[in-house]
Amino acid sequence: MKRGKGMKFVGDSRISAEKTSYYPKDYSEYPGRTEAFWPNFLLKEWLAGSVFLVGFLTLTLAHPSPLEGMADPTNASYIPLPDWYFLFLYELLKYEFASGDFILIGILGIPGLAFGALLLAPFLDNGPGRKPRQRPIAVSMMLLALASVVWLTYESASAVDWESRAEANKPIPESDVTIDVDHPGYAVYEASCMSCHGGELEGSAAAPSLIGIEYSAEEIADIAVNGLGAMPAGLFTGSDEELQQLAEFIVSVNESAE
Amino acid sequence: MSDKKHQVTRRQFLNYTLTGVGGFMAAGLLVSPIRMAIDPVLKESSSGDLVNVGISVDEITDVPQRVDWTVEQVDGWYKSEPSRSAWVYKDENGEIVALSPICTHLGCVVSWEGSEEHPNRFYCPCHDGLYEKDGTNVPGTPPLTPLAVYEQEVRDGILFLGNPIDRKGA
Amino acid sequence: MLQKIYDWIDERVDVTPIWRDIADHEVPEHVNPAHHFSAFVYCFGGLTFFVVVIQILSGMFLTMYYVPDIENAWKSVYYLQTEVAHGQIVRGMHHWGASVVIVMLLLHTLRVFFQGAYKKPRELNWMVGVLLFFVMLGLGFTGYLLPWDNKAYFATQVGLEIAQQVPFIGDELKVLLAGDENIVGAQTLTRFFAIHVFFLPAILFALLAVHFILIRRQGISGPL
Repeated sequence: MKRGKGMKFVGDSRISAEKTSYYPKDYSEYPGRTEAFWPNFLLKEWLAGSVFLVGFLTLTLAHPSPLEGMADPTNASYIPLPDWYFLFLYELLKYEFASGDFILIGILGIPGLAFGALLLAPFLDNGPGRKPRQRPIAVSMMLLALASVVWLTYESASAVDWESRAEANKPIPESDVTIDVDHPGYAVYEASCMSCHGGELEGSAAAPSLIGIEYSAEEIADIAVNGLGAMPAGLFTGSDEELQQLAEFIVSVNESAE
Repeated sequence: MSDKKHQVTRRQFLNYTLTGVGGFMAAGLLVSPIRMAIDPVLKESSSGDLVNVGISVDEITDVPQRVDWTVEQVDGWYKSEPSRSAWVYKDENGEIVALSPICTHLGCVVSWEGSEEHPNRFYCPCHDGLYEKDGTNVPGTPPLTPLAVYEQEVRDGILFLGNPIDRKGA
Repeated sequence: MLQKIYDWIDERVDVTPIWRDIADHEVPEHVNPAHHFSAFVYCFGGLTFFVVVIQILSGMFLTMYYVPDIENAWKSVYYLQTEVAHGQIVRGMHHWGASVVIVMLLLHTLRVFFQGAYKKPRELNWMVGVLLFFVMLGLGFTGYLLPWDNKAYFATQVGLEIAQQVPFIGDELKVLLAGDENIVGAQTLTRFFAIHVFFLPAILFALLAVHFILIRRQGISGPL
């Protein structure tokens, strides 16, 4: 069945009324057979796409996207870090020849040269040969650039303790906690724990939040005396009665937060 | 000729498979976003708790009086305390009635005996809408349905009100 | 019925050659992984586009909940992430898609480079592709700020400091991006939002259209 009846234009139109026929691209100079894009080739492409999609969704489900605490411009202890694909540029600025007086080399010179060369690659590498062996300079420059990007990214990323970083910057749910300052344990908390764990048990750079912990009063008392993880032992100095009050206080705040 | 027929069915088969695979990809891509988008429809409304409106039962007479209070409203990530108001009175049986002051015509605010020409009725100043004391709309005036009635409960002699409930037209 | 509607439109607008060009063109064997498995390297371009589609879709849906305002941006993202059903997944798609698209783009670029496929007559399309790469990096940079968490804020501050170091126009460039000489705040966020959601995608679409039209015009480069 013939589709497309062609256009009839008015007589004074400058566009030709002749129907321009369509010639599909001919790949007969290439070896091997060709096949139709629709549906033969597209089906294979979409099958590959489906496999990719399943992998992608699995990644998404397995690793929820991270969200740190709300931006706090006064937080002086925060170490900034860009997204991973900018790490190599970030790391570059740590080198002496790319910082200080030579900062322009770091932010404009080297990246500008590299990206400029990438943009103009067809004109820099304008020989007739396409095989990598026929253009050793272009290929070796690219390999060198690639190696330095990988190296810089690795250098930058390996210096970061990603896990503790994520742990320390967890978002704090809006505090529904009620701090009962009249609780006998509060005075003990204030004296022994507050400097690190914060006035509302929210934690700080030095210590985790005490909200949402799943310890019993006895376990809390034990941790207060003997420490846990990065928390050293012996921080708590007081009587057993005070220890008991402290543990009960922390448990009571946790109950109020639920 | 049989060869040609075979080709057509093969092409059709590929087309169906292609549509299937495309549908699978579209579904995989869209199921989560669409579920997220329609979440408000599926979520149960959190508002609806009865709120202390700050009037004791003893204070309520058979004359409608206006009561104002605020409710805590959680709108997604935004918390606010919008004010609500009601006309509250006791009917002949001594039952407490709390009417929403929102005119069912176009949403203006009605008031009890708001016009001197219409005693013993709720009056809406926007388009002269009228309601009887029990909230029934007066035929011949713009509103077509009665005033909404608040969910209510008396706890320890204090009036608690919830959401206004619409009523069918008279 | 559908056939009649199609014929009515076709008679006036002559749409048949448009889709015929896309549907009927032949694909040579050397790019077809079903014939030579090593031809899977030709998939990276298509997969990049696929991830771009994922990004557009998930981004459109995310703006249903997101507000570009320093008071509420983080709260709305947190709400989306914790309270809304599947909100975490949709945000995850956009978050991981941003990384995956860079990886795919890199692989696609390397494939074209090492095959020397950018040589005459395809120089222009290579340059359009590199510009697409820059646009994508810009989208990554501006999108990083939007959740308004600590990592976003401080990374952007560093980024703006770097922009300020540019000779002659550095200060102006920084103010243009940040909206204020000294503060990285409310005006920065709205600017980054506008750039991320309207300006860069507009450029992206235009460049993508050129990229694809050129591919159809010039065809795929031959085997090595």
